Amino acid sequence: MPTTRIILDTDPGVDDALTVLLALASPEIQLEALTTICGNIGIEKTTRNALAVLELANASHIPVARGCESPLVSLLGKSGEAVHGTSGLGQANLTEPKAQPVKQHAIDYLIERILAEPGQITLFTIGPMTNLALAIRKDPRIVPAIKELIIMGGAIRQGGNVTPLAEFNIHADAHAAHIVFHSGIPITLVPLDATYKCLLTYADIEHLNRINSRIARFVRDSTSDYMDFYRKYEGFDGCALHDPLTLAVILAPELFTFEEHHVDVDISGGVGNGNTFADFMKVSKKPANMRVALDVRGRDFVELFLQRMETLCRSMEEPTQ
Amino acid sequence: MKRRIILDTDPGIDDSLAILLALASPEISLEGLSVVHGNSSTAQGTVNALSVLELAKAEHIPVYAGCELPLVQPSLLAPETHGEHGIGYAKLPEPLTRPQSQNGCDFLIDKIMSNPGEMTLVAIGPLTNIALALRQEPRIAKNVKEVFIMGGAIRHEGNTTPLAEFNTYVDPHAAHMVFHSGMPITLTPLDVTYDCIFLKEDLNRLLKTASPITSFIADATRFYMEFHDEYQHIEGCVINDPMTMALTFMPEICDYQELYVDVDLSGGVSMGSTFADFYRMTQKPANMKVALGVRPRVFMELFMERMEKLAKSLT
Repeated sequence: MPTTRIILDTDPGVDDALTVLLALASPEIQLEALTTICGNIGIEKTTRNALAVLELANASHIPVARGCESPLVSLLGKSGEAVHGTSGLGQANLTEPKAQPVKQHAIDYLIERILAEPGQITLFTIGPMTNLALAIRKDPRIVPAIKELIIMGGAIRQGGNVTPLAEFNIHADAHAAHIVFHSGIPITLVPLDATYKCLLTYADIEHLNRINSRIARFVRDSTSDYMDFYRKYEGFDGCALHDPLTLAVILAPELFTFEEHHVDVDISGGVGNGNTFADFMKVSKKPANMRVALDVRGRDFVELFLQRMETLCRSMEEPTQ
Repeated sequence: MKRRIILDTDPGIDDSLAILLALASPEISLEGLSVVHGNSSTAQGTVNALSVLELAKAEHIPVYAGCELPLVQPSLLAPETHGEHGIGYAKLPEPLTRPQSQNGCDFLIDKIMSNPGEMTLVAIGPLTNIALALRQEPRIAKNVKEVFIMGGAIRHEGNTTPLAEFNTYVDPHAAHMVFHSGMPITLTPLDVTYDCIFLKEDLNRLLKTASPITSFIADATRFYMEFHDEYQHIEGCVINDPMTMALTFMPEICDYQELYVDVDLSGGVSMGSTFADFYRMTQKPANMKVALGVRPRVFMELFMERMEKLAKSLT
């Protein structure tokens, strides 16, 4: 299988950080750059965390471009500190990164990288889509030049995780999602319908930590608050691997049940604001604008994730004292 | 000290007149144009901007193409108001000058950030370029000297829907972003521009000075006057954009109130409508200065004199 070259637009964030690690641990994927966005936490911290996670995995050669510090129209949402901790990475204490973001703004960085090699870059957005939406409006030529866009976002039949109807990434910048959904870019959407089936458990994390590696410890420390949150609010032991699951669209597409649908997002500002909905009955008569992952073999993905993390941990295993 | 101006524009008949007024006014220095979709497509508007500058022998002023589409709303251009090419019945030669390669949004950012506190931004089209620039470089809000916006209808009815004015209706999301940006804004809504009608007599007076400038104004506005007559039963035409330009150096044309102004994004019948919180119901501090009263003949005389002077100087 040829390597898939990806750029990850991200708001690290615990599950974002795990996505970066999974990408680095996967030979099928070549992670070419990260662009950052405000979301789980503010832009200063998401950018710092992106650099710090790359350094943790000895991958600081991968460039990071800093993006927008606020959504298009919505007010900056409730901080995700309750879920992701004050640093954005739970209890993990990563050293201050030595590397700096590139000078270019993420909007221009995306435009330049995509136009430099049309049809070569698969883009992942695992945070609010402000950067991509503005890149589309600033230079519409990127639309046909993006090979594929894979989005973590939305809740189709599933309830929302930030309002009863809306998922966090879409709700944080519903207007940006609207721009992206209607852009004509070939999209695969990975909504909560699929991600909530992928639960990383305490036992999984203990198992991984039999290996003495800073990666294993990072997985444990970053997810501990995240798990407490899930136990307290969602009533289960474990945490959902929302963002990492997007990579499975490349790594193990056979795990998913995909359907082609016309999906839109409510930007009316009412109770459904940020709600994503699919036109299952074709009542709008509009052609499908994306492929939606409505189901996934969740445990199979978690096993794949753990396997890859183990390999990464072993490659950086430290001698036991 | 001349006021240093960047013009964000969608030429556009009245945009073209605003460009000419800027060039005819010694109080200001027009340092660059960024073009946005609106009255015409961005491509057509860019050609028009270059052609109008060449007509007035001001082709040294750089023109930058900006966004082609509104942020969220579908594209809405106005050929029925401004003609197929955006300048009414006027026909200007293909411009010899080219637009700059830099994107209009980047020009706004660079120009404002490299001249902190110096640049006045005059925005007379939909606000897409400025909104995008604000999200890419939020510090422009603090570094721009002032922003003069033609847009909105506060107590006045709309000219695009019963409630909404064209520029705010075309990209209400961009207007929302700019209104809430903290930039020091002066708004010129339809409330004042509809009091200033450019009449046939005014045109006849201008035509006494024979010049490519006056011929252009005649050909451009004849189309505009037919539109205003057919749709709004106004004899003459409303020239919104030049008034906004004039306020940068002759603020006494209007009376202002400091108000909290917002724009409706709900997607209902009042989508794109601008409204002011006159009674402080929201308890929010004023976010702009709004021109709500005008001395129409003061403005019209200024405009006429400046156009005559420009026409003579170029003949």
